[in-house]
Amino acid sequence: MSILVVLLSLAAGAYALAVIERWAVHGHLSLTGPAWAALALLGRESLLARKSDRLFFELGPVLLLVAGLMAVAVIPLAPGLIITDLATGALFLNAALAYVLVALIMAGWGPNGAYAMIAGWRFLGQFIAYAMLIVMPITAVAMRAESLSTVEIVASQEQLWNVLYQPMGFILFVVAAMGLAWLPPLDLPDATGELAGGVEAEYTGVRLAVLRLARMVIILALAGATVTFYLGGWLGPWLPPWAWSAIKILVVAAAMLSVGRYMPRIREARYLALSWKLGISLALANIFVVGVIALVVPI
Amino acid sequence: MTLVGAREGAMSGIRRAVAAAMARDLSAFVLPGASVARAMGLDLSGSHLRLVGTPRHANLLIVVGPLPPGLRDAAAVTYAQIPRPRAILALGAGDIAPLPDADVSAPLTQAGLQSGLADLRRVIAAGAFRADSGEFNAPALEVRVEYTCPMHPEIVRDAPGDCPKCGMTLVPRETASDGHGGHGGHDMPPEDRSNPADHAHAGHAEDAGGAGTYTCPMHPEVISDAPGKCPKCGMFLVKAEEGESHGHGHRHGHGHGGHGHGHGSEAHGAHGAHGAHGHGDHGGHGKQQDHSGHDGHDGHDGHAGHGGHSKAAIDGIEPHFMSMVELTEGQPRSSDGLQMDWIEVPFGPFFPGLPAGLRLTLTLDGDTVAGSEVRSLVGRAELVDGPQMRVADFVERLAAMMPLSPVAYRTLACAAIEEAASVDPGHDARRGRAAAVERERIASHLNWLAEFGLQSGFLWLAARAGALQLAVQGADVAGIAAQAGAIRRLTRRVQAAPLMRMRLRRIARIGKDTPASGPVDRARGGGSDARTGDPTLKDLGFETRVRNGGDALARLRLRCDEIAQSLDVIAAAGRIAVPQVPDVDRVSGEGAARIETPRGAAQLRVKLTDGRVVEADLDTPSDVNIALVETVTAQQELGDALAAVASLDLSPWEVRG
Repeated sequence: MSILVVLLSLAAGAYALAVIERWAVHGHLSLTGPAWAALALLGRESLLARKSDRLFFELGPVLLLVAGLMAVAVIPLAPGLIITDLATGALFLNAALAYVLVALIMAGWGPNGAYAMIAGWRFLGQFIAYAMLIVMPITAVAMRAESLSTVEIVASQEQLWNVLYQPMGFILFVVAAMGLAWLPPLDLPDATGELAGGVEAEYTGVRLAVLRLARMVIILALAGATVTFYLGGWLGPWLPPWAWSAIKILVVAAAMLSVGRYMPRIREARYLALSWKLGISLALANIFVVGVIALVVPI
Repeated sequence: MTLVGAREGAMSGIRRAVAAAMARDLSAFVLPGASVARAMGLDLSGSHLRLVGTPRHANLLIVVGPLPPGLRDAAAVTYAQIPRPRAILALGAGDIAPLPDADVSAPLTQAGLQSGLADLRRVIAAGAFRADSGEFNAPALEVRVEYTCPMHPEIVRDAPGDCPKCGMTLVPRETASDGHGGHGGHDMPPEDRSNPADHAHAGHAEDAGGAGTYTCPMHPEVISDAPGKCPKCGMFLVKAEEGESHGHGHRHGHGHGGHGHGHGSEAHGAHGAHGAHGHGDHGGHGKQQDHSGHDGHDGHDGHAGHGGHSKAAIDGIEPHFMSMVELTEGQPRSSDGLQMDWIEVPFGPFFPGLPAGLRLTLTLDGDTVAGSEVRSLVGRAELVDGPQMRVADFVERLAAMMPLSPVAYRTLACAAIEEAASVDPGHDARRGRAAAVERERIASHLNWLAEFGLQSGFLWLAARAGALQLAVQGADVAGIAAQAGAIRRLTRRVQAAPLMRMRLRRIARIGKDTPASGPVDRARGGGSDARTGDPTLKDLGFETRVRNGGDALARLRLRCDEIAQSLDVIAAAGRIAVPQVPDVDRVSGEGAARIETPRGAAQLRVKLTDGRVVEADLDTPSDVNIALVETVTAQQELGDALAAVASLDLSPWEVRG
């Protein structure tokens, strides 16, 4: 039952994100736009690039969708409203999202096009930038909760949300999550002005629809993770827990989708340098500070 | 009423709903480009039209204005890349062959766009599917099969056969006819990698001496006492002997195949290209031969994983057979010393984020630009069409040739003709003209900002600068004054945007000695500006703006400065007047004029005979600045290289054809 509810809310959430993304990219706010767009996509030819690596080409978008769905499985929307409350939920989330890299490289390699291929390899470079900054802030979150279970992590924020308890970790995690979901200004693998769509460049019709849906699911999963780890999950006064989850996840996702509209894309080399030199030092400092606070002030 | 590019299928049931959805959800790819459309005064951002960066994601091709002949083939390729059902909307385009006839044609006006889109929606909703959708064919789309030797890429034949040099069976590969491209060669990889002989990890011993045995360069297990052909691949056996010799690996086609011509086969025929992916092919050799215990020598410790190759397992095979060091010897290397696959990737002429009409071919070494070639596909033709031209026709022709800055070139033509005819336009006309050129400068710089925003994913900037450009273009003094505040805020906000400095600083640095024109020159401390010393402009409070730095960031800032200054000049002038064709009466004479167009100084010399233009010669800023492309892209990461090219603000229309 809860699986069905989660999947339905996922579908609703993906649609809401599509509305927001449309606004962020094309500047039109239209509630019905994505529905028409999806229907139109289904009617278009789904071209297979010549000399493509068929297996990679077909599997890329599907694997991306699967990775996103697996990540969603450990996001609690309300007490008891979670697909599976794994004891190692936070770690599982990270493991599931590791397949995003694989899927994107497959999708980039598969169609045998230069833009897509460069985009796929760019994402491999990007992985090096964001990967540590996803795991290390999660470590600090788990330290406070003394558990890797996402439900426990939300419960541990009863007194004080992690966004206030470890603001540095919050910032690092959000930036890394945007890198993982290749959202602007970290959208190196589908940079329209540089690679004409990059990994998406050769996908059309149904396959493109799957790819776009998968992207929305991944963004939702990451927004859900941000809410779970830092914004107190379902916690909040007056409203029912599921409503809090929905509001928080949508707000975070909308912020992630729209912030890139107001700045140019980052340079790949600078992104890597900043992530490693600055990001990892800060993440280590965050772990240390959280460790000290957890020992000294038990909240 | 069906689309020319309808998708195959009967129009029934669910397909009607899908067609209705398609009619609502129009994703357009614009030819020659959104910047050209804006310069022509067309606002494409409304109308629930989404502009997309690749034809693959479009269902509508909008052709804006007459399609230059140089872009026709690329346009056909672009159209072929759009998945069906696909539609064409032609706005004032005239003949667009080899594209099929437009589904809807309309005049090149905002009203034309609106009515055209409305008509198009009806056509799509009614006829997106058709039982017998025809194929689209154009000469640019034809693929020719030719045969080549995997070992000797210089051998290319039209028919199958054996290689005259080594006797190997020629393998087929596909090449596109010339004009292929358009959008990154998605459709037609010029090379076929699928040939089995691609694993041609061959070395052939060349040293003479010693009777020895004969072996196949491809199959070392084949050994024969007499010369002949290899039973496995049909190659001539080569004499094998001990001692060092050079292994010449010829590898044709490479790596992630199909992207451009390998540097190996074309540029460096002597030593075959050896792509990164080729390494795997050789792995087996080392292992196979290692346990024979033959004492070869391994001098390539630095190349882990390839050392095994150098151990000769079979008498008569040179110890360095398949040595990585030798196979890659003499090949160009990246600046970091790594040997990577090089691919040649075409960008343009319709690439989002590059000037429309510009074809940039980058040789990419990984994601670093190892070489670049740039050319304009819309280069200008002869200025004087025929033996002589009427003055009015000449002025209109020059203005129409430069869609990105028609007012500046119109002014230039008028000024040169007036000079030749010794006509003085008068003080007021001069002020009005100066203001008209400054207005175009604002619009042009805003257009550049919008393009930069699109390229760099700064979408707010793209939308805002594009809207302001449309508002300024053609506005009167009061209209510009009304937008001045918004424009100034935009220029400040752009420069202060997060990541902006990081994006552009130290990109495309240009030294003091390189020839450059216009804002590119003034942004490195240079003082070239045709407006300097012009009494009319001096009167209006003009001072040459200069920035130091010489990089893309300085260029952005300088353009922002110039926008602010032009706003002041227009306010001071008080009137804007696009020059009228001067009235010259059967005069003969020569005249020259120089004007600072938005991209730099342009100079025109005209010769009038009997009141008609018989000779004209034009120097444009883009002619100067296009030569900078190679310098500013060399050894840059792909994204930086594209930003570097964009920072030059080239107009392919200005480049000499």
